[in-house]
Amino acid sequence: MTRDQKKIFKKILFYLVLAVIVIYLLFPFYWAISSSLKSEAQLSMTPATLIPRDPDTGEISFFTRNYRAIFSNGGFVRGLINSTIVATSTTILALLTGSFAAFALGKLRFKGKTPALYTILAMTMFPQVTVLSGLYAVINALNLSARVSMIFTYLLFTLPFTTWVLTSFFRDLPDEIMQSAQVDGATPFQTFHMILLPLTAPALVTTGLLSFIQAWNEYLFALTFTSIDPSSRTVPVAIQFFSGEFARQEPFGEIMAAAVMVTIPIVVLVLIFQKRIVAGLTAGAVKG
Amino acid sequence: MSNSNSSNLAKEEQKLAFKLLIPAFLILIIIALYPLGQVFYTSFTDKEFASSKETSFVGLDNYKALLSVSVKELEPIIDEETGEQVVDERTGEKQFQRPIRVLPRDPYLYRPSFEFSFFGNRYVVGARTPDFIRSVWNTLIFTLFSVFFETVLGLIVALVVNSEFKGRGAMRAVMLVPWAVITVVSARMWEWMFEPTRAGLFNMLGDRFGLIETSYSFLSNNSLQLPAIIAVDVWKTTPFMALLILAGLQLIPNELYEAAEMDGASKFRQFFNITLPLLKPSLAVALIFRTLDALRVFDVFQVMLSQKRYSMASFNYFQLIQARQMGMASAIGVIIFIIIFGFAVLYMKSLGVDTE
Amino acid sequence: MKKNLFLVLALVFVITFSGLAFADSHGEEISLTVAGGAVGQEKELTIKAAEMYMERNPNVTVEVLETPDLANDRLGLYLQFLEAESPEVDVYQIDVIWPGDLAEHFIDFYDYGAEKVADKHFQAIIENNTTTDGRLVAMPWFTDAGLLYYRTDLLEKYDREVPETWDELEETARYIMEKEREAGNQDFYGYVWQGDAYEGLTCDALEWTYSNGGGQIVSPDQKITINNDKAIEIIRQAAGWVGTISPTGVTGMGEEDARSMWEAGNALFMRNWPYAYALGNQEGKPTAGNFDVSPLPAGDSGKSAATLGGWNLGVSKYSNHPEEAAKLAMFLAGEEVQKMRAVEGAFNPTIKSLYQDEDVLEAVPFFGSLYDVFTNAVARPSTVTAPQYNKVSELFFQAVHSVLTGGSDAQTAVEYLELNLMDTTGFETGEPLQP
Repeated sequence: MTRDQKKIFKKILFYLVLAVIVIYLLFPFYWAISSSLKSEAQLSMTPATLIPRDPDTGEISFFTRNYRAIFSNGGFVRGLINSTIVATSTTILALLTGSFAAFALGKLRFKGKTPALYTILAMTMFPQVTVLSGLYAVINALNLSARVSMIFTYLLFTLPFTTWVLTSFFRDLPDEIMQSAQVDGATPFQTFHMILLPLTAPALVTTGLLSFIQAWNEYLFALTFTSIDPSSRTVPVAIQFFSGEFARQEPFGEIMAAAVMVTIPIVVLVLIFQKRIVAGLTAGAVKG
Repeated sequence: MSNSNSSNLAKEEQKLAFKLLIPAFLILIIIALYPLGQVFYTSFTDKEFASSKETSFVGLDNYKALLSVSVKELEPIIDEETGEQVVDERTGEKQFQRPIRVLPRDPYLYRPSFEFSFFGNRYVVGARTPDFIRSVWNTLIFTLFSVFFETVLGLIVALVVNSEFKGRGAMRAVMLVPWAVITVVSARMWEWMFEPTRAGLFNMLGDRFGLIETSYSFLSNNSLQLPAIIAVDVWKTTPFMALLILAGLQLIPNELYEAAEMDGASKFRQFFNITLPLLKPSLAVALIFRTLDALRVFDVFQVMLSQKRYSMASFNYFQLIQARQMGMASAIGVIIFIIIFGFAVLYMKSLGVDTE
Repeated sequence: MKKNLFLVLALVFVITFSGLAFADSHGEEISLTVAGGAVGQEKELTIKAAEMYMERNPNVTVEVLETPDLANDRLGLYLQFLEAESPEVDVYQIDVIWPGDLAEHFIDFYDYGAEKVADKHFQAIIENNTTTDGRLVAMPWFTDAGLLYYRTDLLEKYDREVPETWDELEETARYIMEKEREAGNQDFYGYVWQGDAYEGLTCDALEWTYSNGGGQIVSPDQKITINNDKAIEIIRQAAGWVGTISPTGVTGMGEEDARSMWEAGNALFMRNWPYAYALGNQEGKPTAGNFDVSPLPAGDSGKSAATLGGWNLGVSKYSNHPEEAAKLAMFLAGEEVQKMRAVEGAFNPTIKSLYQDEDVLEAVPFFGSLYDVFTNAVARPSTVTAPQYNKVSELFFQAVHSVLTGGSDAQTAVEYLELNLMDTTGFETGEPLQP
């Protein structure tokens, strides 16, 4: 093959792989969207149809009542607001505390780094179900409100994550940056927040995004802590409360509609922040 | 003069480090100390959840009940007339004694957990809590396969997204979609896709392409359960690995690749000699957290498999809510903790990640 | 002296007067919380009933707290509250299989005058709600029982009768399934039910065994009776349906999956709870107007068996106002509210007389045929095996499920089951009770 042919071949291969990945990632979501536009009768159709069709005529027919139902359900909208508040707060808290700890563990010199790192990691080594009743007792003892309890308890798994990832990033930053900054007369803390932090922006955005989504997804703690306070329910809990008309009925179409509606803001969020994910090391500071 | 300066600097660094670590440890003490301590303590008692029964200290009883295992050999059933081993007409399998006859019953009943063959002999592994032993096995298999696939796929996705092409920005958003769908909803969505009639996506597709004859019940079929769950988790969590690996890829300076190009190294060699080694720290962290989460897997097992097949965490849940055995549930929690801790240390040592 | 006497009298007067004033505690504000279901009309009707109560008791405010519909989630939540001895919730809506396990946390309704109303309800439920020391820990609220749904149009088309025994059901299902498949519907099956490994299978399998004379797994006098020929026989027969008159996937079906297949017109018979009746008649569905219900087929015992479901109301011991809460619970479980819920929400009442009430029968005509089913319903051994019912049920449905999937034969599975049950409950074995 000529060089040009090789190039074209590689390009086609690349786009093929890209297409397969896109289909793999998006198809189940497409299925969710299509299910959300089906009525119960359409959902029971055998064989299942890729596009919502009328069970009798076979023509394409969209069922939009599911979407109307979830928006008229005040709980869902309130759930979105609560989830946003809780997930944002816990992420910011995790990033702040985590980056402070990561700077110490990654760049400063002192004894006892390994035990400190492992202790922080240990927080997240228990399954949620085990620590649930203990946490519930703490919340009740401290009389914390539902949202505050969620924000702080989610740190159990977001904090070790941000700490470890950021520690590894800080450690990888060349020591010369710190040294040159110290030569310039900066205190370690100034070096931290004026120089190092901006350099780890991609790591911050990445861990922030992943932690945000993890907090957004959390169900078990949210269910227990908001049990007496329905107005502070987050989205996963609100969706579980979607009722059909009768007991035992699962309004599957509505649940799918809710899933679609909830995923879209996140996708938008990512689209906004995605440039930041790939900022990369800026040349100037490194070359020095 | 310079000595005291550098030792001053060192002291200042230590003080600063201390101050920087305070917020993290403060949070740890407030939200983690009591619950985790309570778990450890309760695991040595026979406490029942929401019960007025007296709680007493039982030492290691819970652990013994969970971990007691007994391996016994099963004798083949010999047909008296022919002197040969009996073969089941329907399945063609050789017949052995039933485990019920060989497993110990006093003072504790041991129930069969697994059977396996070794050099033509058949053995049964019995346990006092067979569901727990099986759940450990299920969780380990699940972890192994899901972490493996997620890492490989995540790497591929990250590499693809890292290269320059049109629509890269949109691709980064698309990449996150599975991770962004709420876990419990995603589990239900997949459950519906696995529906055991042609109303379910997989049975419909299988039928359309002539791959299957009758509809399968994926989640009730012993050999299909774990693969189905693994598929769900891989779909959901590949973005997590991909994103972390992508962040790590970004840190590798382009100059290294340029220099290698000039030296005539193939893309392949570049990958193995530059990318992988420099990716190790990010990969290590990603692997640790992903494995941790996989060992604690709960949502997907509870929603899709409920009581058909347990993971350690879902078994823990059912022990607490249905059997209300809080002491035993806490012991399970501690065992999970120890297993996870072991994995973490293993990763750190074998990936050569430096913590100092 | 006169002055002192006057002072003393004044003092006595003041004390007596203020004593009277404080004795009138009817002015006290009481707030009660009912934790219950949020499904569809459940919450609306509970709120409506609460408002009715508040009108008649102006010093009481009743709040309705919705809890998740998934049984495990709801139970988990309740357990958290009870473990924390929380006074936040006064009245709990509990599943019919929970009174045995949760009994110690609830008050005894007999202490608050429940004898007067207890025999208005179905006896099976009352017996199920009374614990070993005779305490009535929950008032029956609404009930449920397994029913046989059948396609009237298909039975007519092939000139068949509604089956009265399991053998008849098998035969009719096989015949019609063959014919319908020949006519082109390759997704058609004869009988769909709940075969997944969960509590629902305990309900279905209990119906098989009890109707065949195989007992109730554990009899009311605490004997393990499951290991008998009749039970083994019927379980084996049911396993034979999988892949023949029922799809192989039935081993993964719950109530909603069965209903989905039924409503798509792909099943001749379905075993399900009454809730599917109204849903099946909704416009646009192939089943609308084409089906009816009957009691489930009988086995060798000659009698049909339906598993008892439903929900009850219990009052928490940790409530700040147990007496008021008990009054509220008895009002909610009373005739007036049950009638309203039957007429407006099709909730099956637990009060026997309502099944002959004109207004109820006008609103939900098929309730008339349910009366016999409910009076003869079989309860799961939840109170008998308390507090281990969940474990007992798990062992039972795992055993049955292994036979359905072919992982084990019926006899081995049942023998093991007996051993496991003996180990878990400590009971002895015995002979099964006949219906």
